[in-house]
Amino acid sequence: MMDAGRHQNLTLLAYSEVEHVTGYIGNFNVKIRKKARYVNEDECTACADCVESCPVSVPDEYQQGFSSRKAIYIQLPQAVPSAYLIDMDNCLGNNPIACGKCKDACEKECIDFDMQDEIIDIEVGAIIVAAGMDVYDPSEMDEFGYRSYENVITSMEFERLICAGGPTEGHFVRPTDYKLPKRISFIQCVGSRSSKNGNKYCSNICCMNTIKDTLLLKDHYPDVQSKVFYIDIRAFGKGFEDLFMRSKESGVQYIRGIPGDVWEDPKTKNLLLSVEDTTIGKVQVHESDLVVLSVGVEPRKDMKKLQHLLTLSNSVDGFLLESHPKLKPVDAPTRGIFYAGCVESPKDIKDSVTQASAAAARASIILNAGKVEIEAITAIIDTDKCNYCGVCARVCPYNAITAPDRKSGVYPTIIQAACAGCGTCASECVQDAITMRHFKDDQIIAQVDAILEENNMDKIVAFACNWCSYAGGDLAGTSRLQYPTNVRLIRTMCSGRVDEKFIIHAFKKGAPLVLLSGCHFADCHYISAVTWTQRRVERLWNKLERLGIRPERLQLEWISAAEGQKFAKVMRELEEMRKKVTDKEVKETMEILAKDEEKAKAKKAKQAAAG
Amino acid sequence: MAEKAKFKCLRCGHEYEDKYTPKVPQERTCPKCLSNSVRRIEEKRKA
Amino acid sequence: MEDEKLRIGVFVCDCGLNIAGTVDCEAVAKFAETLDDVEAVVRNKYTCADPGQNEIKKAIAEHKLNRVVVASCTPKIHEPTFRQCVADAGLNPYLFEMANLREQCSWVHQDEKEKATEKAKDLVKSAVARSRVLEPQIESEVAVTKAALVIGGGMAGIQAALDLADAGHKVYLVEKEPSIGGIMAALDKTYPTMDCSI
Ligand code: SF4
Ligand SMILES: [Zn+2]
Repeated sequence: MMDAGRHQNLTLLAYSEVEHVTGYIGNFNVKIRKKARYVNEDECTACADCVESCPVSVPDEYQQGFSSRKAIYIQLPQAVPSAYLIDMDNCLGNNPIACGKCKDACEKECIDFDMQDEIIDIEVGAIIVAAGMDVYDPSEMDEFGYRSYENVITSMEFERLICAGGPTEGHFVRPTDYKLPKRISFIQCVGSRSSKNGNKYCSNICCMNTIKDTLLLKDHYPDVQSKVFYIDIRAFGKGFEDLFMRSKESGVQYIRGIPGDVWEDPKTKNLLLSVEDTTIGKVQVHESDLVVLSVGVEPRKDMKKLQHLLTLSNSVDGFLLESHPKLKPVDAPTRGIFYAGCVESPKDIKDSVTQASAAAARASIILNAGKVEIEAITAIIDTDKCNYCGVCARVCPYNAITAPDRKSGVYPTIIQAACAGCGTCASECVQDAITMRHFKDDQIIAQVDAILEENNMDKIVAFACNWCSYAGGDLAGTSRLQYPTNVRLIRTMCSGRVDEKFIIHAFKKGAPLVLLSGCHFADCHYISAVTWTQRRVERLWNKLERLGIRPERLQLEWISAAEGQKFAKVMRELEEMRKKVTDKEVKETMEILAKDEEKAKAKKAKQAAAG
Repeated sequence: MAEKAKFKCLRCGHEYEDKYTPKVPQERTCPKCLSNSVRRIEEKRKA
Repeated sequence: MEDEKLRIGVFVCDCGLNIAGTVDCEAVAKFAETLDDVEAVVRNKYTCADPGQNEIKKAIAEHKLNRVVVASCTPKIHEPTFRQCVADAGLNPYLFEMANLREQCSWVHQDEKEKATEKAKDLVKSAVARSRVLEPQIESEVAVTKAALVIGGGMAGIQAALDLADAGHKVYLVEKEPSIGGIMAALDKTYPTMDCSI
């Protein structure tokens, strides 16, 4: 930790948040807000003179609220950076006339009440996301009495109580009477492996953490009797089984069964746990002085914000989705972004460090190469066709298109390095002036034609975006989920690429049913391109209805890369819908659309003649 | 700004009311069948 | 380029039994031969393996192929592999196309062998149709800013930042809290070594 504060290549921006990220692999522009500490970070020597003078006392978050801190504080004695800060929500002296006592106390004059948040703009070639996780808060469940009984604590609170740097200076006591608890019960899987409370997955670390805690207790207080209530103990890592054995040999009792109920003896404040020991099939009541809930790990509360910032997706468990679960577990689906630690899945310190080093190595590859190749799938504009409407500039999620100006005859230009290739502009341009390299109109139309040339009535034409719905289809495959054979997928980078005319064309060629699928709004790999897809589909539904074609024949679905199940389900449902579309209906549609095309052509010819 | 509007699921046919903000596209899910093929139906068409 | 006659090569992969166990690959290959502009059809046990890739390179040279279609797994895994392969053989990588016979056919229609084979043919047909109108593309190169951002100053963030810094790169480590250390800093001792966390 100290090293990080000292390394000459490393700029530490603590108390800072990433506010905005633009750009792409090799060239990310990042806006960071460095929050005002009101204490000059470089000058502060952490002498603590200021602390005594501060009249405000609030619960200390770092000590899990077991002790208090002042409004001017440092998180922990070994903090890096080693500087105090003022918590303005609690400080009285925002207006120095009111208080300002610390300012007087500080000899070095580090305190500055006028300090402002600082905005820092940086450019980087790669980003490593190591934003961590949250610890499950058991307040939402009542069976273990966490809300009602003081002597029921979480494993995080336990850490502070047993720590020499903790609020009790390492004298392990229980909250009600400040006496050493002699009988301690650990309850495993709190907030994990449950469809009722918390999360369905195994949090990976809590079994080992409890085993460690029991050993710590044995070390410090040999008389303490620990019991561990568990579903099954998962001690799968290197050296883990050894620790487990040591814990067992030291006399810790392991009882297979999770307490159904915990209640307090109001006199002694001791806790009673009723548990079915599933190895013998008997319900027993255990008395305990302290209960420790071994809480699980969950995705950060602000995960969605982070995802939005970096256009990342999450897997079903809410952690960040990797590029490939086996072959690219460290890479984000967005090039140039990598994961380290618990943002990706719950893991212990060793695994976090391992992944972090892997992420650093992956990022180094790009940085060392000094250049990256950008896939040739960007938009190009044919100004001969452009009529200056400017819709392309408006819809581009990356602001990669400069707005045209009819008066001065300036055409829009597409900044190649900024274009991500979603194709929204190409789909929205009524003049067809924009071409997507490698996803050109005729290339996609050729696929539609090939699919519908024979046995059109049997086929569902489905458009799927590369990142989410196509990947969801792949996941259905990897998971061997079975569904009817009638669907034919056409892959585009983004659902934003799916032009109205592709869909109309498919109906014209006799498609009974068309599906347009893309990412959930929050997952869209092209920021907001998917919102244009939604608009387009709504427009198409209206158009179809106007023409006398059932809007139901165009289906819309948002399927994430983690939703293989949903993909298969949608395919099954669509097949049922397809069966109900009659030959007659499809023929009628084909006629209607042929007529409509004639009409449009005639109108164009007339306009051309007039103009 | 949020108004109420009627929606129809084009998968299962379910009709329901929901919040709606004009011009702001939103991800919609049919409460009955969970499909996203949800279409807003205008009741009084402005002719 | 425009007038050059199309010469498409189709490579049908068994993927061991992953595809061939459900889809009649021989029938798919036979079908591919009937498609317009297809000059060569080759069946491979594993197209992505070296022998498979060599067959592609050989066929490009032998038949002067100017389009290559591989009918195998998802492009999300091997598109880069095959693009590189055809590029090695002198073909523009954007003249390559894939048909996904595994994730989106054989694996999801295991009990409907005949229909799966029909679908596989369709997928190949569609890929071939697309390949006809593909155009060569030149990838652009962009310079990389030699700096990295690490978001999060917990255990993982610190480690990643230090590794990058040690490798000689400029690193920005951004932490939300006033000091780094994350959850780990709040732990007393850590397993498996039972030592201090700070
Ligand atoms: S393709 Fe998407 S990112 Fe590229 S210019 Fe068009 S709208 Fe912008
Ligand atoms: Zn529905």
